[in-house]
Amino acid sequence: MNASHAFRRFAFAFGPAFAVTYVSAFKQDIAMFTVYPTRLLSFKTTQYMQDVTSANGLPAMHWYGWMATAALGAIIIGVFAILIPDRWLPWIWQGWVWLIPLVAMLMCVYFTLPMLRN
Amino acid sequence: MATALLILHGLVAMALLGAITHQAVAIWVPLPTRPESFIGRFRAVSSDSFTNAVVVLYVLSAILGGIVYLYFRVEIKPVLEQTEHWQTISLFDIKEHFIAIGMALLPAYWVSWQEIIDREYSSSRIALTVMLTFIVWYGFLIGHIANNVRGFGL
Repeated sequence: MNASHAFRRFAFAFGPAFAVTYVSAFKQDIAMFTVYPTRLLSFKTTQYMQDVTSANGLPAMHWYGWMATAALGAIIIGVFAILIPDRWLPWIWQGWVWLIPLVAMLMCVYFTLPMLRN
Repeated sequence: MATALLILHGLVAMALLGAITHQAVAIWVPLPTRPESFIGRFRAVSSDSFTNAVVVLYVLSAILGGIVYLYFRVEIKPVLEQTEHWQTISLFDIKEHFIAIGMALLPAYWVSWQEIIDREYSSSRIALTVMLTFIVWYGFLIGHIANNVRGFGL
């Protein structure tokens, strides 16, 4: 397997894997780190005001942490995809590369609906 | 500083919007003959020539947006919460999710445009391009709405 072939596999696995892990991280609030803007400090895992008192009472930001969690999960799955035997490939539909992220996007909208209805 | 970054973010987003819209229109409604009208020339661009530009502009725009988001979260969002602009906040939150998922699709999008591909991969190419176009347009419009929400009278 040459490098471009391996990267192709990685790329086609990374997008859908990121979408799934991102939605999971968002829904379950699993952030690899939390950012506090004024202190420019980050802490391991999801944290809230009651856990750590932020300077000036400013918000804890989890979005960056969700992306990091999703990226880590997607990299692991992407590397796994490189190692899949060639004989399995015909069984994997190429359309998953766009269908899974599309469903993930719809789920993000669904999870945001309660606030959208306010 | 925040204003300068926001303007730069907007300019990069405009360039990205133009590039990916050109590509999406060219791939969705390709032109069989030599174009003469403005719309025809718009459709007739060499769609693969935009791929690298789209990837670079998307990443640059996302990084700038990620930095500007710090200012938004600290200075703008609390005001929107106090004034109960929940729908604007929700639409902006959805934009964050879409942008993150879109960025993860860039490697597959780039790969799908790199070589002559069979019919099955061709559908993935079209789908990824259309999805990224939607994400970019959504992000652009919602970003402007959030930025100018008081001007909309919402």
